[in-house]
Amino acid sequence: MNRKERRQHLREKKDSNIDVEKKEESNKRNFFQTIYEDQYKKLIFIPFFILLAAIIIIVINVAQTGDFVNKGYSLEGGISITVIADNVNIELIESTLHSSLPDAEINARELSEAGVSKGFIIESNMQDNGEAIINELEKLSPGLKGSDNISVTTMGSSLGDSFFKDAVIAIIIAFVFMSIVVFIIFKKASPSLAVILCAFSDIVVTIAAIDLFGIKLNTAGIAALLMLIGYSVDTDILLSTRVIKEKKGKVMTRIYRALKTGLTMNATTLVTVVIGLTLSQSTELSQIFLILLIGLIIDIINTWIQNVGILRMYLEKKSKQKNE
Amino acid sequence: MSRDTTIKKILKKPRTIVLIIFIILSLIAIQFHVIGNEGVAIRTVSKNSAAAIAGITSPAGTQPMAREVIVSFNNKKIIDEADYYNFIEDLRINQSISIKTVKKNFCFVFACLSNKYTTYRVKVLPEYKITELNETEIITKIEPFFNVTLNKTVNITKTIEQQKTEKEIIGAADIGLTVYDSPTNNLRKGLDLQGGTRVLLKLEEIVDQDTMDLVIDNIQQRLNVYGLTDIVVREVRGFAGTGDQYVLVEIAGVNSEEIRDLISQQGKFEAKISDDIVFVGGRDITYVARGEGAGLDYGSCAANTQGEYSCRFRFGISLTPVAAQRQAALTDNLQIINENGNDYLNESLTLYLDDELVDELKIGSELKGNPVTEIAISGFGSGATEAAAATDAINNMKRLQTILQTGSLPVKIEIVKTDTISPKLGSQFIKNIMLIAILAIVGVSLVILVRYRKIKVAIPLVITMLSEVFILLGFASLVGWNLDIAAIAGILIAVGTGVDDQIVITDETLRKDYNEMQLSWKQRFKKALFIIIAAYVTTMVAMLPLYFAGAGLVKGFALTTMAGVSIGVFITRPAFGGILQELLKK
Repeated sequence: MNRKERRQHLREKKDSNIDVEKKEESNKRNFFQTIYEDQYKKLIFIPFFILLAAIIIIVINVAQTGDFVNKGYSLEGGISITVIADNVNIELIESTLHSSLPDAEINARELSEAGVSKGFIIESNMQDNGEAIINELEKLSPGLKGSDNISVTTMGSSLGDSFFKDAVIAIIIAFVFMSIVVFIIFKKASPSLAVILCAFSDIVVTIAAIDLFGIKLNTAGIAALLMLIGYSVDTDILLSTRVIKEKKGKVMTRIYRALKTGLTMNATTLVTVVIGLTLSQSTELSQIFLILLIGLIIDIINTWIQNVGILRMYLEKKSKQKNE
Repeated sequence: MSRDTTIKKILKKPRTIVLIIFIILSLIAIQFHVIGNEGVAIRTVSKNSAAAIAGITSPAGTQPMAREVIVSFNNKKIIDEADYYNFIEDLRINQSISIKTVKKNFCFVFACLSNKYTTYRVKVLPEYKITELNETEIITKIEPFFNVTLNKTVNITKTIEQQKTEKEIIGAADIGLTVYDSPTNNLRKGLDLQGGTRVLLKLEEIVDQDTMDLVIDNIQQRLNVYGLTDIVVREVRGFAGTGDQYVLVEIAGVNSEEIRDLISQQGKFEAKISDDIVFVGGRDITYVARGEGAGLDYGSCAANTQGEYSCRFRFGISLTPVAAQRQAALTDNLQIINENGNDYLNESLTLYLDDELVDELKIGSELKGNPVTEIAISGFGSGATEAAAATDAINNMKRLQTILQTGSLPVKIEIVKTDTISPKLGSQFIKNIMLIAILAIVGVSLVILVRYRKIKVAIPLVITMLSEVFILLGFASLVGWNLDIAAIAGILIAVGTGVDDQIVITDETLRKDYNEMQLSWKQRFKKALFIIIAAYVTTMVAMLPLYFAGAGLVKGFALTTMAGVSIGVFITRPAFGGILQELLKK
């Protein structure tokens, strides 16, 4: 057998394999597949319901606090003190600070790497409290003040405020730009809107989750929300390209193929995010990881239920129009 | 096909060659010098110090690896910072030491291709304690003076009466160098990772570019007076609302409140008699005495009834003739009064710093109507002990001197952010991030192995990930970016997006129905490329607004992300596709 013949033979062999797979696919559908494939119009209400709930949560938050997120020290103005220490008694530190500075809003958090204590972080919304907090810490651990074991960051409230405004504008502009690009890529209204709705829903639901968990958003968190746009659109573009741009094969086969690729992408990102979240000692990085974790989980629902549903309805409508 | 021919084929592909070229370029840019890297790099050289006199200069904006590194003192090897300080401790006055330095270039792990050695002879200077005596002396001084009619500088001899001082040697003066362990690569660590002081100042009113430059110059100068050269002073803007203007000051390796206070002062200095301005800091002052002709008044430290001590300092300044005339005109009509046997004028000279009264000086009767250009400025410092009061007085004097010398800022400024970051915390962060990065790579590889069950997919993917990070770091050291936590987050995103794209490529390459459709490898890659480019463009446009937003606080993040995804799409991704194609061919 020469090389050409051998290749031909191999190809035929593979083709027959594919046929077998296809048969198996259509015959052996499990319970979840049946629901996922047949009930997609009903399933689509799940992400819609989540989005609605998210909007309600955000509205409640605005009513209670005046803002759609709870701002951390770097957006509201305040102080953050990081101390390196081996033995941390975080309860003692927190109670000492609360009793000596009863008016201030003070949060203390232990820093650890894989369960080993490395130090602690104290955040307060009052910039002027810095000196007082450091003096209290000095009492607990003499020699700390001015040493290499302490880092202090302060953020003026005016800067925090203008940063927040800037960030909101940046997110809106990014969103608009992204929408324009998506329209240019797909050129059709429904698939493009599906991608944009998905990204919108990702951000809104993530913000609602942040509010619900009582997380205070910092500058890094804003960057994470923007990253979410990028990650969210990645899987949506993958899905829409496979489903709309390709013509061959069954729609469901194409969706499953995109799903397989997309979930692998999500899995690698989630693994990284979870590793980062368990180990990170930086408040900034921790917040980025946390927001990405929440956002990615929401994105899985939005892409593979909501976006898939919209695309299938769009294709159905198109084939109906063709038949008429 | 044997393994050797596969590797050969991979290496011959243009896209692989491009990747290799970029990796080599990054290696040149980063210049890892790990083994045999000894000595301490010079961070700053203090003005008028023994080191400065010997001809050692402060490094000016050079790449970290291009900095002068001290390798030996008197032929004794200096390995690290501890060695340096051990040696410095034992210096004696007038001792002559030879300092050998090296400027390295083109370093690769073990050695450097070019080593330029220089030997400096440094003579250790004595440290003086200067006390002013309660008497004056007449001295003659030769000073350069710009003669307008001759249009050149001529030396004139001046006879001035000045406070008599007593110099006392208290030990050997520091040779005037600040050093740090010799860097092992060209990567610049940001403040978060290196430790240091960062101050963000907001201008209280909107100014034009010229004024902005003046503000930046002024702050830079004031910091230079302290012998600090490893500083960044630059303008940053936000785009929301009023278009606020900010000045960012970053001082690496320095963790000092003194500096923060110095920057925070606008330094508008005015000397007034009643409500008329006599002279303004900067504009009207031609010379400010430092070292000699400046110091604490002898015996001026005294305790008050509450047991608090205060000390008086004094230093001389020279006024412009215009300011001297103004002074003469304003004092001409004042009355002479007698107090404790001394003749003074009935109005005093009031000194205002940022519109706050800082001192009030009695004006000697001899100044009445007399346009003298040499004036003594004095003030107080206080504290719980005599030593504390003396230190406070010296600090106040230094601040006044700096403000008088470098002039005042044209606009008011407000500190909106200050960070003092411990270097220890920085190195702890780096270790932490390295751990996360290594585990993330292992985690991602495991996911890939579980999904594809092919080592041939996992290996190129890991290689691509690593080379992406490496090229990004090379680019960062080439353009002199500071790698801070935000930039690291950006690298993370870029690599994460990269892995996503690699998965798309792998899935397109492995697709079975393409065999059926007889799609060539090129057509497969094209299909993957459409998704990749679409995702790339959306990421870019999403990051672009962030680059301009938020007073530059997240600029590093936006930049690294954009550079990272670009490197991925144009350099590493095509190479990955090529390697995968060859490896999966049977």
